[in-house]
Amino acid sequence: MILIGENIHIISKNVAVAIRERDAKLIQELAVAQAEAGVDYIDLNLGPARKNPQETTEWLVNTVQAVTDLPLSIDTLNPVAMEAGLRSCTKARPLLNSASGRTDSKQQTLPLAKKYNTDVVISVLTDKGCPPDVESRMESIMSTVAYANELGIPNEDIWVDPILLPVSADQQQVVQALEFMKILGDVLPGVKSTIGLSNLSNGTPEELRAILNRTYMVMLGRYGQYSVIADALDKELIDLNSGKMPRIVDLIYKAMDGEEIALSSLSNKERDYVKTTKVLLAETLYSHMWLEV
Amino acid sequence: MEFKAPVESYSGNVREVTLGRGAKALKIGGENALPFHSFDEGSVPNPPRFALEVLDTEPEGWPESVLGLYKDVVSDPVKWAKKCLTYGADMICLRLLSTDPAGKDASPEAAAAMAKKVAEAITVPLIVYGSGDEKKDAVVLPKVAEACSGENLLLGPAVKENYEEIAKAAQQHGHAIIAQSPLDINLMKELNIKLCKTFPPDRIMIDPLSSALGYGMEYSFTIMERTKQTGVIFKDGMTQMPIIADLANECWKTKEAKANKVQGMLWEAITAVSLLLAGANIVVVRHPETLKQVKELLKQR
Repeated sequence: MILIGENIHIISKNVAVAIRERDAKLIQELAVAQAEAGVDYIDLNLGPARKNPQETTEWLVNTVQAVTDLPLSIDTLNPVAMEAGLRSCTKARPLLNSASGRTDSKQQTLPLAKKYNTDVVISVLTDKGCPPDVESRMESIMSTVAYANELGIPNEDIWVDPILLPVSADQQQVVQALEFMKILGDVLPGVKSTIGLSNLSNGTPEELRAILNRTYMVMLGRYGQYSVIADALDKELIDLNSGKMPRIVDLIYKAMDGEEIALSSLSNKERDYVKTTKVLLAETLYSHMWLEV
Repeated sequence: MEFKAPVESYSGNVREVTLGRGAKALKIGGENALPFHSFDEGSVPNPPRFALEVLDTEPEGWPESVLGLYKDVVSDPVKWAKKCLTYGADMICLRLLSTDPAGKDASPEAAAAMAKKVAEAITVPLIVYGSGDEKKDAVVLPKVAEACSGENLLLGPAVKENYEEIAKAAQQHGHAIIAQSPLDINLMKELNIKLCKTFPPDRIMIDPLSSALGYGMEYSFTIMERTKQTGVIFKDGMTQMPIIADLANECWKTKEAKANKVQGMLWEAITAVSLLLAGANIVVVRHPETLKQVKELLKQR
């Protein structure tokens, strides 16, 4: 699976300060660390970028391009910042992250993917918010992809994002996103996919977040997920993705298939992965203490 | 083709909790079917039970249609409790509102002594709710547990901030507890898991908070419904505790209930019936007429 490193993110306080004060060193260290960890893309999350969107984005892109040749994912809802970012990407074909079915996005952001010949993330969001189930998500994405096709953007350049909500808020939504991924390839042949993996564990105690993200990545991978936006500095996540932990992957698949698994025969770590899979399938009711029962 | 209604059977059991001691003892829960699914397989060994409220301090804000019934006893919780029994209450729910630090701030000892008097005077099990102030309850409820040692009360609310103190005292003195969480099934489960590390699961009842008709009842309904489904269908041991729907005050503080007698009684009865359908095993109501009407309705089923 293609990994998009999320660690240069405006919500991180250090990153926000570094961007504001034009502290190239911290940003470049984060970029290099992610590249060394083995990511395929580096996400630059600028948030709304209200102040000096153009100059800020150009600075950020150039700062990162100075230390890596990896392609960049320009992550902002501000079309001015987006255009500045895409225009500045000189080393590799960037990823526009993201457009959606919202009217303003279709009018202002989506055309930039054609103009700058980029790959583009399109999420299922609409003017009404996040569609609640697989059918309405599919309906939304089909309509937006058709719109993108009319603009001259082929399916192969489109990375569909089903929008992942926190498991602590609504387990069923997590199941819905998985179901969506299962059928995406049949409904829209040729499209790629991505997902903001860490949002899954928002609201979960910090020390328990990683295993949720890792497990869900493996589950998505089984259904042909093309890429995830994830914590590049989580070594176990990287190892799982690069095939270094086949036994864990196998266990997660077995749990997904509803096979009887004798927990007592497993190591603590293996047991945790099985329990987490069941929570993410909504077979076990979520609580912050899911690993303890 | 003849229609044949499908019949479900369930593999999970709601835990059976016994409240009260000796001849007073009453069993709650224990069913292995969804609420009122009499068309499915499974048994419901214990019907839903009804508690009427008694306060340890004179009620404020109660409409005349309820207060009038208790006028002669509101200053004496023991007499009040006995009067409730004449209305057919299966249990008494004593509220130690006098201990509220924002009100009279009565001492834990005084409140515990009153709880003991009431417990000893009645022939049914006693539920004791603290004032809801989590710090004060952590002191008051252990005192009640001690004073009423062996009475097998149902004590609460134990919340995530104070469950340790309350559970410890309840266990030491042989009582059951009410685990209360703020309208959130995930937090409800978390609290049960925490409690069960030291406290027996068959001594716990769930209070997910009961909102009144028109004031968010559907949230309470959904959580109770999901709790039952998770326990009975999916056998989740941490949601198999029986449920208490403490709805009396939520109903009677609405302007609709206060408006007139019939409307008030109906407001409470409809809330009670709804939450029973969702899976409540005990409902706490205020108006004896509510109790009578809802019991009657259940009989006709």
